[in-house]
Amino acid sequence: MQPTADHKIGAVSRIKSLNLGLIRILKMERRGKLSNFLATTFGLAVTLGVAYLLAIILIFFLSKDPGRTIYYFFLGPFTNMYYFGNMLNASVPVALAGLGIIIAFKSSMFNLGGEGQIYSGALVVTAVCLALPGMNGYLGVFLGLAAGMAAGGILAGLSGFLKMKWGTNELISSFMISGAAVLIVNYFITGPMDDPINNLLATCRVGDQYCLMRIFRPSNLNIGAVLAILMTGLVYFLMYYTRWGYEIRMCGENREFARYGGINISVYMVLPMILSGALQGLAGGVVVLGTHHMVIKEFTIGIGWKGIAVALVARNQPLGAIPAAILFAYLDAGAKAAMIHSDVTYEISSIIQSIIFYLVTAQAIYSFVSRRRKEKDPA
Amino acid sequence: MNENSFMALIHNAIGIMTPFLLAATGGLFTELAGMLNIALEGLMLIGAFFSVVFAATTGSIFLGILLGVLAAVLVSLLFGSISLYLKADIFICGLATNLLASGLTMVLAFQLYGNKGVIRFDNIPALPVLNLPFIQDLPVLGALLSGHNIMVYISWLILIIAAVVIYHTPFGQRIRGTGLGSPTITALGLNPTGYQLKAILISGLTCGLAGAVLTLNLAAFVPNITAGRGWIALVVIYLGNKTPLGILAASFVFGLADSVANFAQGAINIPADFFLAFPYIITVLAMVGYSIWKTHRVKV
Repeated sequence: MQPTADHKIGAVSRIKSLNLGLIRILKMERRGKLSNFLATTFGLAVTLGVAYLLAIILIFFLSKDPGRTIYYFFLGPFTNMYYFGNMLNASVPVALAGLGIIIAFKSSMFNLGGEGQIYSGALVVTAVCLALPGMNGYLGVFLGLAAGMAAGGILAGLSGFLKMKWGTNELISSFMISGAAVLIVNYFITGPMDDPINNLLATCRVGDQYCLMRIFRPSNLNIGAVLAILMTGLVYFLMYYTRWGYEIRMCGENREFARYGGINISVYMVLPMILSGALQGLAGGVVVLGTHHMVIKEFTIGIGWKGIAVALVARNQPLGAIPAAILFAYLDAGAKAAMIHSDVTYEISSIIQSIIFYLVTAQAIYSFVSRRRKEKDPA
Repeated sequence: MNENSFMALIHNAIGIMTPFLLAATGGLFTELAGMLNIALEGLMLIGAFFSVVFAATTGSIFLGILLGVLAAVLVSLLFGSISLYLKADIFICGLATNLLASGLTMVLAFQLYGNKGVIRFDNIPALPVLNLPFIQDLPVLGALLSGHNIMVYISWLILIIAAVVIYHTPFGQRIRGTGLGSPTITALGLNPTGYQLKAILISGLTCGLAGAVLTLNLAAFVPNITAGRGWIALVVIYLGNKTPLGILAASFVFGLADSVANFAQGAINIPADFFLAFPYIITVLAMVGYSIWKTHRVKV
């Protein structure tokens, strides 16, 4: 093994090369489709295998009745229709958030502010619906979601704007802005918008006409799921069949080259961030109108990080967002079932998720297969 | 505001800046070694949890800090090994570390204390407060610099050691060489990855200490007690222009901002959430100010 590119990353262009490096990993440097596909599948299988193996070991350490805990952790989501439907429902906002992250990653921008954008989107959707109590349902849902998307888009777009204007690192700025947004939304939920009647730290309930139709009773699964599928198609179309998408991808591959090719690269620091944030805002809105019908304190926390995990597991392919989101929803639902029916706490799912995060970009695992194939078959 | 409360403000700021300073000192090593280390937050949280838990179980502050730092170093070893040897993206591994830290501390808190909220420990002795000889007798400086807890002085000592190591030892120069991507490092037959791993372990050590400051001061563990301080430490490194003296100044600015916010919360009625959001907003503004200054400087 020679000491190559890894060590030659210059300090000045470090963050840029970091971004490009990640994009390269995500693209797996096309070596031939079959080999690439096998490497990806093998790598993901190893990643998930290690993560779940660690889950089992962890449960043996933590649980007094490991058999029962493991049963619910793995099969809990399939034990009844309610759990199963709720698992699918939980994957809807995660898929939307993941699609948003994919758009940002594709242009080699980092949006780490998903948490705050989702939460703000949820608040704004609720505020609009509460402000228009008597409106037609369809129109109200449309207006509400549009406002929520605008809120998320503005928060993320701000980081893109700062990057374009002064080169402020969008990774840190989006995280910090989101951190502040979460706390300010908390203020609204527990302060001016708190519902004094319910005992939750939550706003009032939105009008019945705004609640998305349930499609899999008794679970919470609602037509928001259809929206996630539509959005997947839309993002796929945008990325691969429109000029915007083409130029976003060009900027992601090599921003200098894109500029040389006459693309206005400033626009593509802000636009992908706005689209990314808008999808986060939509994710928050769908959770409100589809599931809870109000904003409960910190109820969307965690969806933003899962969105990033989804983008990585889906290898930045929009069509992979929904399967990847279902995977993370399954992990979560299993942890919840294990918490309800046994004696472990729900946060073990964060530990498993962190293992997936650790290994999902590990090139050593992915190159293993391609190397083996090359050795066997030099052609 | 009279003179006394002004002095108290500065005195508090010096206490508050300690975790920023410690985390940023370790982060300086990883930054100079050419890595964007966003795991500072998670490493700090690990140090915070384990130091207070071990201090409570052993009854000794010293053992608590030692074992808490050890835990943070172990997690940084995991973080470093995966990103450097399995060639995973260091930024995603940093996210993984932060997620692992918040998950692990919650799971263990639940397992050990059956509680996922604030955990108070009654049997922890307070951090010893030092009065510096000679300096405490100076007119203004004495009141400001003396009478802090021991961790404050340890953080200064570590900063001085770090400055010496970075600028005056072969190890420090090799770390910087690694970060500059200099081919000399490999040409000399040295292993840049090894230096990067050592830098990550150093960041684990100082973040462990930074976390210990947070919980041992309170004698309690609060879920996600770090509350973005690791990220602020990252910004501190940039604002301090990646020099030890710079990060000292930048940490003080954030310490002062927090101290002023504390004071303001007592004096005027601000909702607690705004008060909590204040460090985040200040950090964004400071970052923007820094990048404006930088682009301006480049143009001139």
